[in-house]
Amino acid sequence: MSKPKVGIFGFTGCGGCQLEILNLEDQLLDLVSAVEIVHFTEAITEHSDNYEIALIEGSVTTEHDIERVKKIGDIAKIIVAVGSCAVNGGLNCLKNLYGVERAKELVYGDKKDWIDSIEVKPIDEYVRVDYYARGCPPNRLEIVDIIRSLIIGRKPEIPNYPVCVECKRNGNTCVYDFGITCLGPVTRAGCNSRCPSSGTGCESCRGLIDDPNINAQKDLLAEYGLTVEDIISQFNLYNACKKVIAKENKK
Amino acid sequence: MLYKVMGRDVFKDFVKSLISDYEFIGPKKKDKAVHDFVPIKDISELDINYKRTTIPPAKKILFPPDEKLVTYEVNEKIKVRPLIESSEKVLFGINAWDINGMNFLDRFFVTDFIDENYLERRKKLIVIGMDSEPTETNFSPSMDSEYAKDGFDLYLTELKDRYFIRINTARGDEILKKYAVTEDALVKDFKDYNNYMDNYRKKFKLNVNIKDFYDNFELIYDDDEFWKRVAKNCYSCGSCNLACPTCFCFNVKDDIELNLKDGNKTREWDSCMLPEYGLVAGGLNFRPDKENRLKQRYRCKLKTFFDKFGRYACVGCGRCIEVCLAKINIADDINSIKKEVSV
Repeated sequence: MSKPKVGIFGFTGCGGCQLEILNLEDQLLDLVSAVEIVHFTEAITEHSDNYEIALIEGSVTTEHDIERVKKIGDIAKIIVAVGSCAVNGGLNCLKNLYGVERAKELVYGDKKDWIDSIEVKPIDEYVRVDYYARGCPPNRLEIVDIIRSLIIGRKPEIPNYPVCVECKRNGNTCVYDFGITCLGPVTRAGCNSRCPSSGTGCESCRGLIDDPNINAQKDLLAEYGLTVEDIISQFNLYNACKKVIAKENKK
Repeated sequence: MLYKVMGRDVFKDFVKSLISDYEFIGPKKKDKAVHDFVPIKDISELDINYKRTTIPPAKKILFPPDEKLVTYEVNEKIKVRPLIESSEKVLFGINAWDINGMNFLDRFFVTDFIDENYLERRKKLIVIGMDSEPTETNFSPSMDSEYAKDGFDLYLTELKDRYFIRINTARGDEILKKYAVTEDALVKDFKDYNNYMDNYRKKFKLNVNIKDFYDNFELIYDDDEFWKRVAKNCYSCGSCNLACPTCFCFNVKDDIELNLKDGNKTREWDSCMLPEYGLVAGGLNFRPDKENRLKQRYRCKLKTFFDKFGRYACVGCGRCIEVCLAKINIADDINSIKKEVSV
C-alpha cells in the first residue's frame, strides 16, 4: 500500500492550526511514516501539487484565496477543513459585521484601497469539504484520528453532541454552578471540554451541534443576567458567519 | 445481618487504619459546590458531611467513564489481549441511595450478559456505607432507596455517642474485628437507631407518586404534545444520564495507532439523550426528536426495568434535576402524569 500524499495549506488565520499539527510531538514520526507530506506551509520548503488529501486551515478573505482554495479543491480527493477559521469562518467573520469597506477604513484609513479584502467565508463556501476538524485551536488528536480513519477507510467519528457530555465524563462541576456562563450546552464536543475543565465557560469555537436548542440557551443566558446584545456577541465570537450555521443544520 | 455498636472515640482510629492498610476512596470537598469520591491518603482529607457528589461515585469506580477493554496487535497473526484493571479498594462513606444505584448496576451487568470488568471490580470493592444529608431534589424514600438492605459490607450510622453498625458480609465482619473494638447491639441501641431513622426519613422533603406514574405511563406515551412540552428546553446534552447512578449505556470505540499495528477497544459512557444514540447503519435514526428520547429515558427508568427486575432504574438521588440546565425535573414529571391523563 503506497502512502497517501497529504498537503497542509494555510489561509487567513493565525497559523496556529498548523502549529497544532507540529505540536503532535509524540506522534509526529508515526504520522510522517503513515502519510507522505508534500506541502506544509509552516514546516517544509518543498512543494508538490500531487496530493490526495488536503488539510486546509484559515478562512477565505481575498480574491487570491478563492483561486488558491479552488485549485486545491480540483486536485485533492479529500478535503479536511482544520480549525474554526476554515470550518465556520472563525473570528475573522467579525469583520463581516462591520461591512468590508467600513472594516478596511477602520484599520487602514485613507490607504484602504491598497488592501485586497473581501467578505470572510469559510472554505466550504468555495470547495466541497469532506471532514471538519473543528476548534480554535483544533484538537490535534482529532486531526490524527481523521487522518488515521482516512488511511483505514473508516468514517471519522466527530462528535455531534454538546460539550456537557465531556464535562460530565471528566467529572467537572458545571461552571454555571459558579455563576460563569458557558455555550457548552449548544456547542459541538470533541475538545475534551477544554475550557470548562479549566474553570472557564465555552465560547463555542467548535461551532454549534447540528440541532442546538438555541431558545433554551437564550433563556439560560438571560437568567444569568445577559442582555440580548451580550448573547448575540457571545454567539458571534466564533459563529458570526451565520449562513454557515444555517447550512450545517440542513446537512 | 449482624448488629454492633462502636464508640465515637474508636471511629477515628478505625478509619485511620483502613486508610493505611487499603486503597481508600472517600468523599473529599472538591470545590464550593460539590464533593468528589477520590483516593484518600490522610484522614484530614475525608469529609463525611457531604451533600452533593459530582458524578455517581459508585458508577465511576465500578464502571469508569473511559475504559480500555481490549488491546490488540496486528501482525501476521492478530494478538488480542483483554484488559481488566481492578484492585481491592475500600469505598467509604457512600450513602444508601448510591449503594442502591450500585445494586441496580449489579443486576444489570450480570443478567443478559456477564460483564467481567464490572464484576471483577465489584467483588473487590469493600463498601462501607454512611448516611448523608439529602438535597432538596432528593426523593429516595419514594423510590425505596433511602435505606440500603444489601450491597454493602458495613453500614455505619452515627448516633449521639456511638455508631450503630450493620454487618452484611463475612468480609465486613472480619474487617471490623481486625480494626475496631465493638460491642453487640442491645435493645437500647436498636431503639436509638429506629428513632434516628424516623428522624432521618423526615429530612427528605420531596415525594413522588411512582405508582401513579407506573400505572398511567402507557396512557401518556403517545401524547406527543405532552412530551414536546416536557422536552421543550432539553439540550439533548446527556447530563441527566451521565450524572445518574443507574445509567449503564456505553459505546465501544476502536482506536488503532498510526502505525496501523497496535490498537485498542475502549468503552465510554453513552447517553440515550444524544441524537446519535438511535442512529443505525444506513443513516436511519429511530429516535430523531428530543421529546422522543426523553420519554424513552423515563420509560427505561420507571417502567422497563421495574417490569424486568422488579426494581426501578432510579433511586431518586435528584442529580439529574440538579445538573439539568433546562430545569427538566423528573420528580415534577412523575407527579404530573396522573393529572395529565385524567384531563
